Amino acid sequence: MGRKTYNIAMVSDFFFPQPGGVESHIYQLSSKLIDRGHKVIIITHSYDDRKGVRYLNNGLKVYHVPFLVIYRAATFPTVFSFFPILRNICIREQIEIVHGHGSLSSLCHEAILHARTMGLRTVFTDHSLFGFADAASILTNKLLKFILSDVDHSICVSHTCKENTVLRASLDPLMVSVIPNAVVGENFRPRDYPTLSEKGEGFRAEPSPRPLGPHDVITIVVISRLFYNKGTDLLTAAIPRILENHPNTRFIIAGSGPKAIDLEQMIETNVLQDRVEMLGPIRHEDVRDVMTRGHIYLHPSLTEAFGTVIVEAASCGLYVVCTQVGGIPEVLPSHMTTFAKPEEDDIVAATGKAITAMRAGKIRTEKFHDEVKKMYSWSNVAMRTERVYDGICGTISEEEFYGFDTTGYNGSRIRDFALIDRLKRYYGCGIWAGKLFCLCVVVDYLFFLFLEWWFPRENIDICRDWPRKSPAKDTAQDSMKVAPNQRSTSSIRVPKLDR
Amino acid sequence: MPSPTDDETPFPALSHSASLSALDRSHLSPHDAFTYPLRQAYDGDGAADPLSHLRHLKDDRSRSRRRKRAWKKLMWVKQSYPDNYTDQATFLENLQRNPRLKPYDFWPLVADSTVILQHVCSVSLFVVCFVGIYQERVSPVSLVGGSTFATFLGWILWERWVSEEMNQEEEVSASGIAASATKSESIRRRARAASIRRPIITPRITSVTPSSSSRPSSEAASSRPSAGNSTVNIQIQIPESERLRTSRPAHHSSTTTSPSSTNSPASPTSPTSPTSPTSSTSPISPISLKEPSQNATGADGGQPLLRRASSDVIPDFAPIPNEANRLHQRLGTIKSAILIYCTLLGLSPILKSLTQSTSSDSIWAMSLWLLAINIFFFDYSGGVGAKFPASLSTNAALMASTVLASRLPSTKQVFCLTLFSIEVFGLFPVFRRYVQHRSFRQHAILTVLLILGAGWGVGVVMREPSPDYWPWKRGLGGMVVSVLIAAIATGGCSWWLIGLQRYKNEIRGPWDPARPIIMSRQRWEN
Repeated sequence: MGRKTYNIAMVSDFFFPQPGGVESHIYQLSSKLIDRGHKVIIITHSYDDRKGVRYLNNGLKVYHVPFLVIYRAATFPTVFSFFPILRNICIREQIEIVHGHGSLSSLCHEAILHARTMGLRTVFTDHSLFGFADAASILTNKLLKFILSDVDHSICVSHTCKENTVLRASLDPLMVSVIPNAVVGENFRPRDYPTLSEKGEGFRAEPSPRPLGPHDVITIVVISRLFYNKGTDLLTAAIPRILENHPNTRFIIAGSGPKAIDLEQMIETNVLQDRVEMLGPIRHEDVRDVMTRGHIYLHPSLTEAFGTVIVEAASCGLYVVCTQVGGIPEVLPSHMTTFAKPEEDDIVAATGKAITAMRAGKIRTEKFHDEVKKMYSWSNVAMRTERVYDGICGTISEEEFYGFDTTGYNGSRIRDFALIDRLKRYYGCGIWAGKLFCLCVVVDYLFFLFLEWWFPRENIDICRDWPRKSPAKDTAQDSMKVAPNQRSTSSIRVPKLDR
Repeated sequence: MPSPTDDETPFPALSHSASLSALDRSHLSPHDAFTYPLRQAYDGDGAADPLSHLRHLKDDRSRSRRRKRAWKKLMWVKQSYPDNYTDQATFLENLQRNPRLKPYDFWPLVADSTVILQHVCSVSLFVVCFVGIYQERVSPVSLVGGSTFATFLGWILWERWVSEEMNQEEEVSASGIAASATKSESIRRRARAASIRRPIITPRITSVTPSSSSRPSSEAASSRPSAGNSTVNIQIQIPESERLRTSRPAHHSSTTTSPSSTNSPASPTSPTSPTSPTSSTSPISPISLKEPSQNATGADGGQPLLRRASSDVIPDFAPIPNEANRLHQRLGTIKSAILIYCTLLGLSPILKSLTQSTSSDSIWAMSLWLLAINIFFFDYSGGVGAKFPASLSTNAALMASTVLASRLPSTKQVFCLTLFSIEVFGLFPVFRRYVQHRSFRQHAILTVLLILGAGWGVGVVMREPSPDYWPWKRGLGGMVVSVLIAAIATGGCSWWLIGLQRYKNEIRGPWDPARPIIMSRQRWEN
């Protein structure tokens, strides 16, 4: 029996040409899913002159729906206005699963709501962490609760993110999977890494580690947007002290933001122009070239759901010094990182330790790239996402997907589409909010019936598919029984489960 | 080969007893977020009995450890668990509920709420006085004469208190510097950095309890001798009490001399008498602020140039005799008072005709709103040092008095009411803050007086004046009612607030943005 393939629509406000983590996540995941034989389309709003349908690499189809953008590429939240065009697209493309990304994207929330009304399976991926205290978070959390109370499954990028999402939206923890981000290993190679052709010929020996002498200059790289929550204040305070304690060090700082002026002021006050280089904003393609100029990557962020950039840095063969916040402690093994508390003194101390260790040659950074490549790959992410699709569509049984603990509401975690059951789920959202949400859902359903009558399904053309790739050989079930970790440095060996 | 039942082990049974005794537990477990019905059938009676359930859990985990690797909260490890696996032991273990909850006590809360009561009473006193003038029951001149006299008395009292307090602080700062001068360089640098970082913090009382009746700020300072520096340094920033600057001989000479001459730490100070000629402090705060920061960079940056430069600055400070300076300032205050007086006198005719084209109803409504704004936006937490803190509040009150004054028929009345409003809304709060700061007893007496006065006034002006009734009878009635209302309001609201604390549920966890701790933030910005 061949593996089942799906027609998937990724919906998010955030997509190329805008740069960012969510954007590249969607693109890479879609691309790998297409490689595995699925059909994937992306629905986003229009960017400037980009309207209508576009094709990207690999037959990835992008619908740029014209919508009013209000703030940082997020569209104006109109609860129902997206429905007609979404229905049209879904019927035209024969979509089975709607996969939304980003908790600040109203397009994604609307799509999930309407998809449930149309009887499609839905998945939501959360990429960010939210607090519970401020007014904006409270509003976002309520909205998230509304949307996620009827979603089939959620995906979070780290375990901390999962805890946060479970609390924010009052979810059943078993209905939330943790699937990390990944990096494209080929784009983040270290400086002296042999290219593929060289490797294939097998001539080149393993690059010998070049030990750093006591007078060699150690370069510390910082690439981040210079905002408060990225910890630029800590950076501003720590740089002069680090440079003072360690004579042969220098900094390269890339990125822009409101805190850049503080950094520049610090440089001028301490006369550090020759030891701190500020590059300004750089493009994502250039990140690797900047990273390979350094030895240590410093990441002083105050909150981070996953921290793809530290994985990229490690993949480039940099030793990582980062603050122990959010999901960061889960991301990299301890021989690649030094953790610091988000305090000036601790960051100075941790960076000092890292510099000393680098000089002593204790850190074998040349192995980082291959290790990171084994840890994080997009095809693995796609495989694990596919298992989620299998689970919600019933391809793999509920017992297998959720374990034996199959006691959600009504003894099942499968979310059925009966309106009364959906209303029950929404009603539990709160005393007032529950009733309001129910009202929304009822109106949405009536709107759906109206659309069915006004634009009958039969009148909507079915578009032809891009030729599909043959499904990959490994089945989704195998993805869980992954091969044991082969790395010699890792002490954790995972026994293989035979089934 | 594991059977399906063995596979179950990573999903141990949750006991869904939804007893959320929030205060007993420090963190949530998964079923706090998601409550679904009890599953008696699955758990058997295990769910009912928490102990047996725990044992069940333990069994499960030990069995699973034998069978597989324990689950780890890491993402770079390839684990043999599904992605949606939820580990019972570690899930949400870092969650904290109400981490910094400080339960309120009833009486301190009531004592603190008297500040609000005082303000409301003084606002109602103002309204009563306006009504009195408007109905021509009170002669405006006598009212303003009395209030001006009271203001003058208050000013003199305030002056005395401030000077007393300064003397105390001098002693503390001298001892604090003597203590801190012997400490290491880094600690001194830190204290200085701290003093620069928080320039406007003033010594303010944290809790007004009946037991701590008088608590001068010196106590707070003396408890931390190394921070004595900062406390003193801060005071220089307060422009309102300018004379504070002059009588602070110890601090600057010591901060500048201590890096070089630590062998005689207390020698440059003879702080006990305020007329000491060694009071070498200049009132130029920018220099005094910049100098320690330069010194700090010099200290750890090893830049002797800067240090020398800063020591060159010291001799420029000319010693100013303390008493003369104080006199000078008093004269300045009197001068500005006369200036305000004359300006008001000149403005009164304009104010009188300001709202002639507006109907009285609109004026009443508007002044009501403005006074409400004044009450709601007033800075009740402001310490003694707060200058004119809530500008919105004060401006609203002055505007209310202006529009009210424009209803009055004669220029004299307009002038008197405006002057009175400046005294009530501008100066009286300063005095009240100082009383509260000095002693709780005086504060309580002032509160009672204000409540009684406001009650009496409201009682009297409630009815039109007529010859055949005694105003004191209604006045007494008003007093009784006002005392009752005050007691109910403060007691009831405090009780209510304490009751509401039960519903407080603040969730903190690793997802919250960390608060960076930066020791030397301001060093670069000055």
